[in-house]
Amino acid sequence: MTTIVIIDYGMGNLFSIQSAIRYLGAESIISSDRNTIINADKIILPGVGSFYKAMENLHTSGLVAVLRDTVISRQVPILGICLGMQLMGESSTEDGVSEGLGLIDSPVERFDDRKSEGLKIPHVGFNTVSVSKESKLFGGLDTQADFYFTHSYRMKYTDQSYAAGICHHGESFIAAFEMEHICGTQFHPEKSQTNGLLLLRNFIKNF
Amino acid sequence: MLSRNFRLQRAGNIKWLQNNYNFKNIAFTIDELIILDVSRGERNLERFCDHIKVIAEECFIPIAAGGGITSYEHTKAIMNSGADKLVVNTALFRAPNFVKELVSIYGSQCIIASMDVKRRNDQTEVFIDNGSTKVEMAFDEYIDRTTNLGIGEIYINSMDRDGTGHGYLFDFLGQLKSVVKVPIIIAGGAGNWHHLLEGLQHDLVDAAATANLFNFIGQGFPNARRQLLESGINLARWETLNYLDLKNSAATIRFCIEN
Repeated sequence: MTTIVIIDYGMGNLFSIQSAIRYLGAESIISSDRNTIINADKIILPGVGSFYKAMENLHTSGLVAVLRDTVISRQVPILGICLGMQLMGESSTEDGVSEGLGLIDSPVERFDDRKSEGLKIPHVGFNTVSVSKESKLFGGLDTQADFYFTHSYRMKYTDQSYAAGICHHGESFIAAFEMEHICGTQFHPEKSQTNGLLLLRNFIKNF
Repeated sequence: MLSRNFRLQRAGNIKWLQNNYNFKNIAFTIDELIILDVSRGERNLERFCDHIKVIAEECFIPIAAGGGITSYEHTKAIMNSGADKLVVNTALFRAPNFVKELVSIYGSQCIIASMDVKRRNDQTEVFIDNGSTKVEMAFDEYIDRTTNLGIGEIYINSMDRDGTGHGYLFDFLGQLKSVVKVPIIIAGGAGNWHHLLEGLQHDLVDAAATANLFNFIGQGFPNARRQLLESGINLARWETLNYLDLKNSAATIRFCIEN
């Protein structure tokens, strides 16, 4: 049986992700244990809150090396969600500059300030994602699909080849990336009705 | 993005809700869910959190929860039960510094300010303590004070219309317009989809909420969403549950029994 491990490092709502996976008929383990993570068949990296604090927690618990090793050397598929997706990037400017896991080369920065144009930050609510390439993650979904977002920082879209879904909020940003077995979504699939369930099922079944 | 919400009133027993109102079906027809503990007297936090968990297990949308929030332990328990946002009402008036603290811990987007209001002699009055205590403060000043706490959304409920099914009251929105920059959720009075449409078409409204059980009967909610989309309201779209075709999973079996 496939072991899906949801990484627990003290940042955010793990209950909803586990519920969604259970709803899809699979089981998952919430864990911060090295051995459990190294031996996982799939990893989900969730997260809500500050990038700096999250990386600090990952460093303190020794999980940075464990995650990099598991994903890069052992080729275990990973799905980062919201802050979890951002952590997989190169760095973030949230609370000063901090390094990320460096699984993909995009930096994470705050949305450009366009208050005068009435642009609200944080970007909260359902928004439409345009599927931008052949993607296993978005298999079975329309090329335009709605997902639930809540974030103030983003990975700017600059034609990265791994960008699988693009969203627009004053500017184009990466809503989802997919590079071989390394995936991330800025939106919350576990809060995006059947669209999100379908995406999670794709990750469970097709990676 | 426009969205619809509803809150559950006096849902003492979750099983009752699921059995009588096919909640699983409704859950796939709304954008967000608000769960309020409206118990009079002493609240049972543990039981309330258990209820949130039961709902969150099969409901894949943002969930806001609240009712009598007074401490960090309280909010932590609610958030760990699957909620994504916190609803505060009485604390806005009685414990503004605590609300500020919640904003700094969880972020603005996580905190919804709930206001129960009545219209009397062309004035808007605010009530707290489950609607039992009138706040001795002008509406303007109350809004000012509330928005300065850094809250992310305002949920405004007309006590005059609540439970009547006669449609929303918009009279108090004019006063909100100049000060409020955060999304406004209107509540109290929706009895059918036309009322929801009226709410969502109003310039100052970002989301329409309903707790009226008439909306939950039979295909009430799915039909309302369809009508709203057909009326040109820009709601999020997703496939029906059947599209997922969850073969061999527990969820499908339960869903089929209900049909």
